[in-house]
Amino acid sequence: MKSLRGLLHLQQVRELSLFVILILVLLLFGSQIDGYFSPRTFSRIATTVSIIMIVAVGQTIVVLTRNIDLSVGSIVGFTAFFIGQQFGFNRDLHPAAAVALAMGVGALAGMLNGFLVAYGRVPAVVVTLGTLAIYRGALVEYSGSQSIATRMLPDWIKELPQQTVFTIGEVEFGALPVIALVAVILFQMILMYTSFGRRLYAVGSSTEAAEVAGIPARRLVFTAFMISGALAGLGGFVYLARIGTITAVAATGLELQVVAAVVVGGVNTNGGSGTVFGTLLGAVLVGTIEQSLIRMRINEFWKDALLGVFILIAVTTDSVMMSRLRTWWAARAQKAHKREALSAPTAGQVEA
Amino acid sequence: MMQLLSRWTWLRRWETLLLIVLIIVLVINTQLSPFFFDANNISNIFRLSIEKAMVVLLMTFVIINGEIDLSVASLMGLSASVLAVTFEAGWSLPAGFALALLIGAICGALNGFFITYLNMPSIVVTLAGLITYRGVARILLEDRSVGGYPEWFTGLAQNEWIGTFPFTVILFAVLFVVCYIILSRTSFGRYVYVIGNNRPGAEYAGISVRRVKMLIFVFTGLMAAFAGLWYAARLGNIRANAAEGFELDIITIVLLGGVSIFGGKGTMLGVGLSLLVVLNIRNGMSLANVSSNVQTSIVGALLILSVLIPNWAQSLQGSKFWRSFVDRNRITKGEAV
Amino acid sequence: MKHLRLVFLMAVVLLIAVQPAFMQEVITATPGQEVDMLLLPKALGNAVFDQAHEGAIEAHAELENPGELIFNGPSEASAPGQIDIIESAITQGVGGIMISANDYEQLLPSTTRAMEEGITVVTWDSPVDPSGEALFIAQVDFSETGTVMADMALRILGEDGGQFAVLSATPDASNQNAWIAAMQEVLETDEAYAALELVTIVYGNDDPDDSYNEALGLIDSYPDLELIMAPTTVGIAAAAKAMQDEGLCGQIAVSGLGLPMEMQEFVENGCSQEFALWSFSDLGYLTYYVTYMLQTGAITAEVGVTFEAGRMGTYTIEEDPTREGGLRVLMGPFSVYSAENLEEWAIPAEGS
Repeated sequence: MKSLRGLLHLQQVRELSLFVILILVLLLFGSQIDGYFSPRTFSRIATTVSIIMIVAVGQTIVVLTRNIDLSVGSIVGFTAFFIGQQFGFNRDLHPAAAVALAMGVGALAGMLNGFLVAYGRVPAVVVTLGTLAIYRGALVEYSGSQSIATRMLPDWIKELPQQTVFTIGEVEFGALPVIALVAVILFQMILMYTSFGRRLYAVGSSTEAAEVAGIPARRLVFTAFMISGALAGLGGFVYLARIGTITAVAATGLELQVVAAVVVGGVNTNGGSGTVFGTLLGAVLVGTIEQSLIRMRINEFWKDALLGVFILIAVTTDSVMMSRLRTWWAARAQKAHKREALSAPTAGQVEA
Repeated sequence: MMQLLSRWTWLRRWETLLLIVLIIVLVINTQLSPFFFDANNISNIFRLSIEKAMVVLLMTFVIINGEIDLSVASLMGLSASVLAVTFEAGWSLPAGFALALLIGAICGALNGFFITYLNMPSIVVTLAGLITYRGVARILLEDRSVGGYPEWFTGLAQNEWIGTFPFTVILFAVLFVVCYIILSRTSFGRYVYVIGNNRPGAEYAGISVRRVKMLIFVFTGLMAAFAGLWYAARLGNIRANAAEGFELDIITIVLLGGVSIFGGKGTMLGVGLSLLVVLNIRNGMSLANVSSNVQTSIVGALLILSVLIPNWAQSLQGSKFWRSFVDRNRITKGEAV
Repeated sequence: MKHLRLVFLMAVVLLIAVQPAFMQEVITATPGQEVDMLLLPKALGNAVFDQAHEGAIEAHAELENPGELIFNGPSEASAPGQIDIIESAITQGVGGIMISANDYEQLLPSTTRAMEEGITVVTWDSPVDPSGEALFIAQVDFSETGTVMADMALRILGEDGGQFAVLSATPDASNQNAWIAAMQEVLETDEAYAALELVTIVYGNDDPDDSYNEALGLIDSYPDLELIMAPTTVGIAAAAKAMQDEGLCGQIAVSGLGLPMEMQEFVENGCSQEFALWSFSDLGYLTYYVTYMLQTGAITAEVGVTFEAGRMGTYTIEEDPTREGGLRVLMGPFSVYSAENLEEWAIPAEGS
């Protein structure tokens, strides 16, 4: 119980450190770009990261179980095209049905991944590296080089990015960031307060121990991939709403951006630690750097290198800060332990 | 009898499986296309993928060691771009090679430093490397393309033959043998496995984990830079997007070779066979006019199946049904004896 | 059939009668000869290249070529991917290779080898260096592209001009670079365009998401911007959608090179005023005719050779003014699509 509380503490510190880095990055760009601190900048960043955010939530769940899902970019592309095509057939498709269909198609793709990983015992990297190619190949064949044009889509989906759901002060929250935020909050709650969430951490920390403790590790891993697929499907729906024109190469390479958001967000690639809020911060941090570099009037050819260096600095600072804190934490815990041991020696003797 | 049986265990090994797949692929290819066993085509198979093949060898060390390097393709591009820029500036080619290789080694060392001394996950560090190194190549070359290298340099990678063997085949064979010996016959190679298997154990045993990891990353950087130069020679003209996206192909080949993504497992022989399988599949399907997306999908499916089928076979062997069947067999045989 | 031949004969007679004496004879193709052909686009999964394929199929059937027409390209637009396919085609012993090149120089070793093997190499859409091709089928005059873009900008911004930005494909895209350079030259040298101010060139990497974000970055960085000119079909559609989502249609115009099918909606709702393109299916058709005639020996790649390319009429091989020592067949013309001629090109809505 005590160690669990310690872990939670550490997690919050990690998020705090990311938050501090984010503030520093914002201040840095604010000093370089005129009129940077405007509501517009914030809604811009929020909208830009919304697709990555939604997919990254699913990725977080998968990475927590000590796996990885590299096929998400292909799933996003496939569902975006598929849903666009359904609207081509039937313009009056109900919004709820469209979303359900997108998530269903994504979930199916995720279930295949999950089945192979959990029950076929094939490493996740191998499975999803394979399905990354397979789902993309399927899309190219399926699409027959046709593209989805915005005129095939009903008005409500085209206008979705323009909708403002609520406003805080002058900052407007559009429909797309709100969908992402809902996903973040929902899954953060699930991780924190449900036994499903707790068990995900347990499986990621040690699959063997989890199985010994009677946790159905395989079923959990399978479910994690299914969730990741479903959220990638939702990401595909949002991609369709935002971009409108969909070709067979849609969302190629998205997986790298998603993985970047997750690892920058401090989710441990060896499983067992990390939060959806951390991923949110990671995605926002990367998105902020990317978006701000676009806005800065610097040489076009310097942007990629600067983005890479910024990410590296951010993760390194985070990593160094965390390892310092961890040593400090351990030292303090040891001291406390000693003090406890000194104050109650008899109890220890009795137990012995 | 027992001894003979144990000698037959090689049949169940990954390499055997790959060998069988390779033979099947070769047979299908000769059926699909009459041009497959053309000397030129066989030389092409290697010539067109030699850069990836070189990096595959070093990536094997990285993954067996329990790490990953996503930055190799960007490093190839950076090295090629460095050569292009120095050539543009009027340097001699050897001086350009030296600088490109040096930068490759430095970038590899940077990867290694963040991973071993700052204890950061290799996937994070090399993901940042993937973006940064490519970005530096962009800064160097912007939207220009640089060509006009001397004939001896471009000819080297394009179609040089030594006797009856294309130069690239010989080069790859030499590199392969060197890497094979280092991995399976030297103490360094053993350390690579031990660390990949059990890092704390290796540290207890007094192995300098950091040194081994540093060496691996430096040499991977160096090899990627070398492959980048080779790419420059083959294409004869360089842009900043050189070798973009090669990392996924490289990692796929290594994993198909039976190297465990969790480290500690895999052989150079398996990777060599996997390389032959992938190159021949792609070549055969190209000759049969199969679109490149389908090719990639088939390689992807093969990658999954290559792990899935042995797993199922194993669990089938371990299952009650199978065991009872085997036991009964043994009993009946025993009775007969 | 007989009737058709009669009409054809009459047309030829008419042509000969009308032609001045000094003009060369018009060579026609002899159908039915066996030539295996490879049509090699920049990448698969792109609608425009599929249209070129359709044009080639039409010509293939018309010329009753018993050989094969292969359509294959790399999954992503890259020179090494095209090299692999060219080398396979050489091994297969095809008769003609038709390439839309991803790079001006990098394909040279392969295309030169192909020509040494007696294969006719014709480039279309995007050429290689003249040493590695028989000739280039130019969709339009490349310097004319610059003028057409400048004209569109002038019509949209009006006589008093204003600021505009270019949203291109990748920094390495040779076509786009040539067109932008041509436009810059026109802007500098011709007084008529003095009021137009090109503020920056950004790259969306022909990725819809990147292009969308770059378009947003442009309006944030340049408050006085009035027009985004995107000489790429991916960029123009993404930019138009971005302006629609921002509610900026009418304030910031979007123009460039676009596909009518994808752009129709944006012209109807005023997000894009006008854009231009040529017919890719005609381009594929003409390319096929030229390659077939070259390989069967009906024509040679020399200046002044005049031939008839089926339904498209008579063309003459000429020197390519944009590439020293190069030959080209100039297809043309540009079609400019705008709200004024909407009825002519709009595709009626399907279904409801």
